[in-house]
Amino acid sequence: MRLRGVPGPALVLALLCALATAINPAFLSPRNLTDLMLAAAPTLIAACGLMLVVASGEIDISIGSLLGLCAAVAGTLSSPDRLGLPPSLAVAATLALGLGVGLLNGVLVSLVRVPSIIVTLGMLSVLKGANELLMGGKWITRLPDGLRAWGTGSVLGVPVPIAACAAVVALTWLLANRTAWGRRVFAVGSNADSARLAGIPVGRTKLAAFGLAGLLVALATLVSVPRLSLVDSGVGVGFELLVVTCVVVGGVSIRGGTGTILGVVLGVLLLSSVRTVLIFLQLGESSLYWERAIQGALILAAVMGDAAGRRREARA
Amino acid sequence: MRAKTLLAAATAAMLLIGGCGGPQGQEGSPNGPTQGEKGRITICLLPKQKGIPYFTSCAEGAQEAAKELDVELIYDGPTDGSPEKAAAMVEKWALQGVDAICVSPNDPNVLAPAMKAARQKGVKVITWDADAPSDAREVFVNQATAEQIGTALVDTLVKDMGGKDVKGEVAIITATATAANQNEWIVHIKERLKAYPNLRLGSVVPSNEDQKLAFQAAQDLIKASPDLKGILAISSTAFPGAAEGIKQAGKAGQVQVTGLSTPNDMRAYVKDGTVKSVILWNTKDLGYLTVQVAAQLVRGTFKGTDPTVKAGRLGEKRVEGDNVLLGDILVFTKDNIDQFQF
Repeated sequence: MRLRGVPGPALVLALLCALATAINPAFLSPRNLTDLMLAAAPTLIAACGLMLVVASGEIDISIGSLLGLCAAVAGTLSSPDRLGLPPSLAVAATLALGLGVGLLNGVLVSLVRVPSIIVTLGMLSVLKGANELLMGGKWITRLPDGLRAWGTGSVLGVPVPIAACAAVVALTWLLANRTAWGRRVFAVGSNADSARLAGIPVGRTKLAAFGLAGLLVALATLVSVPRLSLVDSGVGVGFELLVVTCVVVGGVSIRGGTGTILGVVLGVLLLSSVRTVLIFLQLGESSLYWERAIQGALILAAVMGDAAGRRREARA
Repeated sequence: MRAKTLLAAATAAMLLIGGCGGPQGQEGSPNGPTQGEKGRITICLLPKQKGIPYFTSCAEGAQEAAKELDVELIYDGPTDGSPEKAAAMVEKWALQGVDAICVSPNDPNVLAPAMKAARQKGVKVITWDADAPSDAREVFVNQATAEQIGTALVDTLVKDMGGKDVKGEVAIITATATAANQNEWIVHIKERLKAYPNLRLGSVVPSNEDQKLAFQAAQDLIKASPDLKGILAISSTAFPGAAEGIKQAGKAGQVQVTGLSTPNDMRAYVKDGTVKSVILWNTKDLGYLTVQVAAQLVRGTFKGTDPTVKAGRLGEKRVEGDNVLLGDILVFTKDNIDQFQF
């Protein structure tokens, strides 16, 4: 059952790629495939964290604002136009911020027992406000090379974002499938009460999921924002919607308890290649109008698949 | 049960969005509106989006005019560019009885009802930077006509690509599919492209005010069409994103990009040669002129039908129909960009 949701996105993805390649063979060029992976990497890193939160029966919609604030902090600390501190310090501060905000979300949800959608919605506003304060109506220009290397550099010939993403996917798979904590996350998400009766520390399990999600958003910031030379005030806007969509399209049930890394990987690849596919189809001016419609249709298709699966489950 | 709890939570969440999504901390304007007096007046300046350098520099010029004219200036707008939130702010200001509201509508159709309602309450409503239907405002402070901008974009790009003999494809990276300004510019871009039969218009791609999407779009456009010679990136976030995309694709010099952005944000790309020209008007002057026009409308020293308006340090500005014209478009190149700091 844990494979549910995987075939759908895989099929659609294959179909889209085949279509784009048929019309424009350049789609399958190594350069384009690398670019596709580079574009998907930050989303996938954040989606791994969110998947665990959702699997534990919660939701985090503050991740877009967190990404924005992480970008503003990294930029403010390191840009010579602002504080000009060493990039390594900015990196450490960004990761600490992500982890801290994630843990704070987790504490409010699991100890104070506020529904996660409310907690993270409030956090969304708070972080956005902090971001605006920090940016002060200006963009941050001239990111130092030490920071930009996180987005544009490579390790052993592999671009940093792709390497980081691969490591995160592997680690998340290990965490989810090979550790006691991972099994607890799914147990807590499918039925918190019986998990509690079985002696699982529900609160702590969720707290760790939120903390990890926050940390991964910070990492996603570090490998995406420095790919560009300046930090604008719109960084992260709508990111939470994209990541939630990817996770849901990837077959992670929004009701908690189920989900696979493979599904999430496919969900992210699918959603992040739609734009590129549309450009390769060379629809001319009308590509302007297709993107949202297609993304919306994909979400509907995925959710309908989820509902159908539930009905089959109920009948069985 | 589970579903019900979720539903309740979602409802509460909606309420919370409604409650805290709007502008805050503005319960009553700082010094209180002073409608009816001929002395100090209150003018509200609404940008499409607060917190982006383009509008921040407009606001600096507006503040300068406010000081000269004894105006209480309230500069506020939605930080996410949401036209619904902008409309709510216009309604709030109208209720507070401010003297004038200057609106740069992100979606004229969403803003127009609130603007009309404000006019009925006796508030002077004008548009600046982007226009709305003419019955929703008195005059439009126009930085440049869409035709001027469309023509300047195409002509500059053609020059940067090496002249009118260059053959190939030109693509556009725009803001959003519904952005009124950009859509009007695109009409005139197409019109002007007819003057260059060797060039043909390829894709028009939205960047949704997201630099990263513009970056990706530029790279995808380059790969998808080997014939691509130039990109018009016509919003202030699309331009730096597209320039970075071209640079990282190693196509600087082969694929030209030009567009509209502030000199500060494009300086690095002009210096390293990725971008030859940046097009914009003087944003400070635009903010300055807007407040001048609004204040004079309130005080009666300028009527929307006058052929010119005396605009302080800018001198006399021409009024065409119900458009107050700012005047010339600026083109920043590596030779002059350092003279402009905004």
